[in-house]
Amino acid sequence: MTAPSRDRSAGGVTTIEPAVATAGTARLPGRSLLRVGPLSVQIRRRSVLVAAVLLVLLAVAGVLSLSLGTPYVAAGDVLRALSGAGTPYDLVVLDLRLPRVVLAAVAGAAFGVAGTLIQSVARNPLASPDVIGVTQGAGLAATVALTSGAAAVVVGPAALAGGLVAAALVLALGARHGLAAQRFVLAGVAVAFALKALTEIVMLTAEAIDGQRAQIWLIGTLAGKGWTEAAWIGATLLVLLPVLAWAGWALNSSALDDDTARGIGLRPVSRRIALAGTGVLVAAMVTAQVGAVDFVALVAPQVARRLVRAERPPLVCAALMGALLLVLADLAGRRLFAPTQLPAGVLTAAIGGPYLMYLLLRGRKRSS
Amino acid sequence: MLSTRDLVAGYDERTVLDGLDLELPADAFTVIVGPNACGKSTLLRTLARLLVPRRGSVLLDGKAIQELPTREVARRLAVLPQSPLVPEGVTVADLVGRGRQPYQRWWRQWSEEDSSAVDHAMALADVAGLADRPVDTLSGGQRQRVWIAMTLAQDTEALLLDEPTTFLDLAHQVEVLDLLHRLRVERGRTVVAVLHDLNQAARYADHLVAMRSGAVVAAGPPREILTAELVREVFGLDCVVVPCPVTGAPLVVPALTSPTLADPAARSSAPTPAGTASGTDASSPTGSTGATPAGSENALAGSYPSEGH
Repeated sequence: MTAPSRDRSAGGVTTIEPAVATAGTARLPGRSLLRVGPLSVQIRRRSVLVAAVLLVLLAVAGVLSLSLGTPYVAAGDVLRALSGAGTPYDLVVLDLRLPRVVLAAVAGAAFGVAGTLIQSVARNPLASPDVIGVTQGAGLAATVALTSGAAAVVVGPAALAGGLVAAALVLALGARHGLAAQRFVLAGVAVAFALKALTEIVMLTAEAIDGQRAQIWLIGTLAGKGWTEAAWIGATLLVLLPVLAWAGWALNSSALDDDTARGIGLRPVSRRIALAGTGVLVAAMVTAQVGAVDFVALVAPQVARRLVRAERPPLVCAALMGALLLVLADLAGRRLFAPTQLPAGVLTAAIGGPYLMYLLLRGRKRSS
Repeated sequence: MLSTRDLVAGYDERTVLDGLDLELPADAFTVIVGPNACGKSTLLRTLARLLVPRRGSVLLDGKAIQELPTREVARRLAVLPQSPLVPEGVTVADLVGRGRQPYQRWWRQWSEEDSSAVDHAMALADVAGLADRPVDTLSGGQRQRVWIAMTLAQDTEALLLDEPTTFLDLAHQVEVLDLLHRLRVERGRTVVAVLHDLNQAARYADHLVAMRSGAVVAAGPPREILTAELVREVFGLDCVVVPCPVTGAPLVVPALTSPTLADPAARSSAPTPAGTASGTDASSPTGSTGATPAGSENALAGSYPSEGH
């Protein structure tokens, strides 16, 4: 029975050969291929365009942020100071404002990356570090550190550890059925609520002045922060760069259901854990450095996705969008009610709230 | 090429397959049929290593499929799950391109071979004209052909499909099954599908596997094994099996379950007031039609092999 069938199969295979041997013309729509030696990378042409535009906007926002304030520094002087020409404004531009702008850009990019990874795993545009407990874990740890009179240097590492522990808890709770999207989000929301309640208790029972410091930390601010924080976040992104390069590719198939993914030779569960773990790591690090800046991680990937018109958030564009958002939010926080400074987190929440409503209304329209 | 040894599989506490030994012939169109919840989808999912067996193994050319790297399996065995999720906004060429995943790495994301395989798959499944369209804007039949194209792009010897015709109208069902038939006959692929429709199974299958309660009741060419007894045993339904007037394959017609089904007069009179309806029927100009109900009922009763079943 098997012998004749094998013959037939061999005959069938030979008929396919010529078709396979001919050079293919299939191009993935809207994508180009970047070849460097043995490397070949698919690139969405629209992503390149969007990234270029975002980079220009980011540069403009950066210069604007360096120039506005008291004293006002003309854009030309800002550029001259940046080029190292030596101007009377060097102190203001390079030492006072630049660290904060760079931190805003790096932290925003990190939020964008974290949001993209977490949303793709959760298959939910509403998922972000704020929703799945990482932020609250970091917040609780930071609050405890701030109200217990621990040294200031402890706050950052404590927040990092808190965020990671919370994320580990969420992953463990969500992992029972292969980290299915819904379960992951539900576990995150549950952990987030519990941690938030604990944070409030700690804050209310603390001295008023300590409570207020914790409150400001929780909202997230870039005031008084700079190179050190930016370096920590930047180093994290740099170390994770190979993982992120892989993630950019792996995200392509994150929208497939598990059976289909397994059918094409993927291991969807380990893939999700790797992607979510990377996202959580970045989110915990950036939250530990700048506090719980709300909504950047939520909004940046979705806006970038709509600009690129892709079926999932694009990693690089989401990072640039996050950077742009946070630089603008920090600038607005500094200047809008000057001399009163608003923490960047307040501004991003003010933008993020209406955006969420927009998403909800849009979703309802589509489903009806 | 695919076989199972003492296969035990199921979900959570429920054991669906309990010690199944099955041999699927290479280069044949195998169709698995059976009543709802008989384990046919479980079998297909286990064969495609989407479900991990509790005991026993699935052998691909003699090697346990669970022990082979999943990427290697994906180059030899493609699977189309029952209702795959269409990623929002993904284009046809993009989705078909995902079928090349087992040949790609993040540092080698596209090759000439990928291009030609995608071209070839789209041409075979007749979706080349739709390449730039978003999949979620296509009709059910087109969408199913796109999914099949994705599995074809995997360039495998075997293709497993879980109810590929569900939710399609009859014309699209035939279209999809014809495509699978062509793959088998012209391309020498091994095709294994779970189907609901017995007559389509009989029409297209080289090898039919009839399952009930997680066990194989009969397996073989449909013309040899598909009988009224088998249908009764597997589905618990009395039926007549006659040769299909088009293909000659066995055609399963459910037995007369209610006498009124064979009596057009009785059925047409049902919605209207009884007396007037039958009166107009009798006095209708075509007298011969008035006589047919009784005649056809007799004819059906005559052809109905009631004695042996």
